[in-house]
Amino acid sequence: MTQMVRERLIKIENLWFAYKSEDYVLKGISLILDNRPTAIVGQNGAGKTTFVKLLKALLRPTKGDIWIFGQNTKETTAARLAKTVGLVFQNPSDQIFKSRVLDEVMFGPLNVFRDKHKAYENSLKALEIVGLSKKKEEHPYDLTLSERKLLCLASVLAMEPEVIILDEPTIAQDKYSTKVIAEIIYQLASSGKLIIAITHDMDFVLENFSRTIVFTDGVVILDGETEKVLSDDNTLEKAHLEVPWLIKLSQRIGVSYDAVKNLGI
Amino acid sequence: MKAISLYVDKDTFVHKLEPVTKFWYALASVVLSFIFPSIWMGLLILSTSIFLSLVARVLKNMVGFVSAVLVVSITMLVIQGMFYKENVTLVFTIGGLKFYKEGLLHAILLIIRVVNMITAFGLLILTTRPSDMVTNLVQKGMSPKLGYILSSVLQIIPQMLSTASTIIDAQCSRGLETEGNFSEKLRAVFALLGPLVLSSLVEARERAVALEMRGFGVSNKPTFVREIPETKVDKTLKFLMKTILIFAISWRVFSWIMW
Amino acid sequence: MDNVVREIRKNEKIVVQNLSYRYPLSNNKAIEDINFSVCAGESVGIIGRNGSGKSTLCLALTGLVPLFFGGKRSGRVLVDGTDVLEIPKEKLVRKIGLVLQNPFSQISGAKMTVFDEVAFGLENLGVEREEMLERVEKVLRRLDLWSKRDQNPFELSGGQLQRLAIASVLALEPEILVLDEPTSQLDPQGTTEVFEVLSELKRTGITIILVEHKFEKLVEHVDKVIFLHEGKVIGIGTPEEIFSMREIDEYSVGEPIYTSVCKKLNARKPNGKYPVHFEEAIEVLKGALKSHDTNG
Repeated sequence: MTQMVRERLIKIENLWFAYKSEDYVLKGISLILDNRPTAIVGQNGAGKTTFVKLLKALLRPTKGDIWIFGQNTKETTAARLAKTVGLVFQNPSDQIFKSRVLDEVMFGPLNVFRDKHKAYENSLKALEIVGLSKKKEEHPYDLTLSERKLLCLASVLAMEPEVIILDEPTIAQDKYSTKVIAEIIYQLASSGKLIIAITHDMDFVLENFSRTIVFTDGVVILDGETEKVLSDDNTLEKAHLEVPWLIKLSQRIGVSYDAVKNLGI
Repeated sequence: MKAISLYVDKDTFVHKLEPVTKFWYALASVVLSFIFPSIWMGLLILSTSIFLSLVARVLKNMVGFVSAVLVVSITMLVIQGMFYKENVTLVFTIGGLKFYKEGLLHAILLIIRVVNMITAFGLLILTTRPSDMVTNLVQKGMSPKLGYILSSVLQIIPQMLSTASTIIDAQCSRGLETEGNFSEKLRAVFALLGPLVLSSLVEARERAVALEMRGFGVSNKPTFVREIPETKVDKTLKFLMKTILIFAISWRVFSWIMW
Repeated sequence: MDNVVREIRKNEKIVVQNLSYRYPLSNNKAIEDINFSVCAGESVGIIGRNGSGKSTLCLALTGLVPLFFGGKRSGRVLVDGTDVLEIPKEKLVRKIGLVLQNPFSQISGAKMTVFDEVAFGLENLGVEREEMLERVEKVLRRLDLWSKRDQNPFELSGGQLQRLAIASVLALEPEILVLDEPTSQLDPQGTTEVFEVLSELKRTGITIILVEHKFEKLVEHVDKVIFLHEGKVIGIGTPEEIFSMREIDEYSVGEPIYTSVCKKLNARKPNGKYPVHFEEAIEVLKGALKSHDTNG
């Protein structure tokens, strides 16, 4: 266990989960999540969201264990885990309730640090990172949906968690905001944070995540280096996923994906 | 997401009746059992409702409804049996407790009235789809907009509950503790109700736009996919109920005036 | 100030003239001086950064802006020669259908089955029951939802819900369909389902206005593109004309991802534009590589 803490890993051991008796949504998942930015992909209903909720201790494993830096999720709560694991939910309306953007961002840090000054400083920094500093006095619902999603990201960043999980970060975003998010992921990963994202955007995955885990029907059918995983046409088809455009392109032209990547799209 | 409904889906004579007809039956049953202070009248009405429940094959569900008042009924029997002010005739004693005829009869009458109310309206609720009830009312002249509100409430409330559970997850993920002292609990309530109310309002706004573009409120005379026909049987039964009611009320008023 | 009204050509379904709009309580115009026309049966895409006015424009085409949202509109939106603000609602909803992003907020919530849900609009308009049943069945079969007709709408997936939203709108038999980011909240399967529907609709001659960020899909389904930025029209043209504009890069709007590759390599089509269709991009890139090889 101490080794895990030193190595800053998330260990998932033979995880089984069912909402209703015996109707297993996750079947025997065993993984170790390290500090490679990791994308979790799969069709709707494959178990991705359930998996992520288990990582956040919002649900308890029916069988098996999850260890976050050595702490078993069964022995803690989502609230207490908030300073270690941050989860950015898909739908901003599920969390927004303050009338000022700044207050909304400060909510999490106030809970976690109980230090108004630190919460304030962190929130300003987080808003700066997502590019919403100018809108800090506005009402959250005066922002566009895309800005509200960035607001939710800021509210999690402000808590300075070691692990950041993003649930469908690019839905409803335009190309510019997607670039902003990609840049944020890069910065966070460089500073040693564990980044995990659930997403359908295969090109986004290819560009930003070094590891990809494919879920189907509650099991992991593929797990490894992103480029390899996303070139596996057969498995992707089984999982109802598309091959990224850039891989299709490199295959058709007859160059390696690396060459395409080096163009720096 | 199941809507809030007690409807039991079967294909019987009672199910096919117009909801408004069933409503008149319920009304008549209740009024009659209150107008006539007679246990026999009450039992007559009750047996009609039970017979109809059998025909509608919802007797099992009905028993479920009635058993809800079982405890209250027994309590009433005991209390009235012992302490009713007009108690005179002793009927039996259990361990030193004396039970009198007048009290027991009074309690039985009350119980029958309550059970009649439950079975009569229960029959309506168990054999009528909520949406059909609304359609029937709108056919009879209720505002279609009000009809929409009534129909949508049944489905939108379970939806809100499911959203509420996601909201709880989201706020707990941001460190919200739901245990703690009063002010902490109060804080938790705001953090949970806030998004629920706001997101419901935003969704309602979006839905209103969609409804506008589907002609909502354009016509005061909408048509209906599931028309509720008013058959001869319905007309006859309604006429019967109304006539019985009028006679019963007139008789009561008359006899009250006479002595 | 209104300009002189120019003559509306016969097959111009939609004509937008000097359209500007400001939301209530807002100091800035959400859209400004918009001018364009759409011919009957055409498919037009609208692109731009978030906040560029695309949604507002969609709402203006249906008259919801300003009728439903308040605010101040100047200029005109003509459908079949008449301003949308002057078309009575029961006629307007039979001319223009609107499909929005969020699949869940487009179901009425008052109906227990998919069939009834699609009938809802027809009920509101007082369409005769016989005709109603026919039209609902037709549209459900068309959108491959007939097998789900007895299911509760709330049990459908995102993609199915969007198809239901489209079906509910199509039941009113509009000649124009406006879709504001219909696939933005859907997974790849749902997205494919919706675009398949759009292809089929295009074949039947419906005029389509489509706002989309998934450019790779958008270019396969539209004849022309309107490029908005900060409420103003920056360009109107074919997909390749628009995505080759320098403002696309200047304003970081983005383009189909294989087009980005071409841009990096300055690999253009013979007509000087960057390819926006995948197969064309492959051809152009292969050509560029070959000439690169031959040039050493």
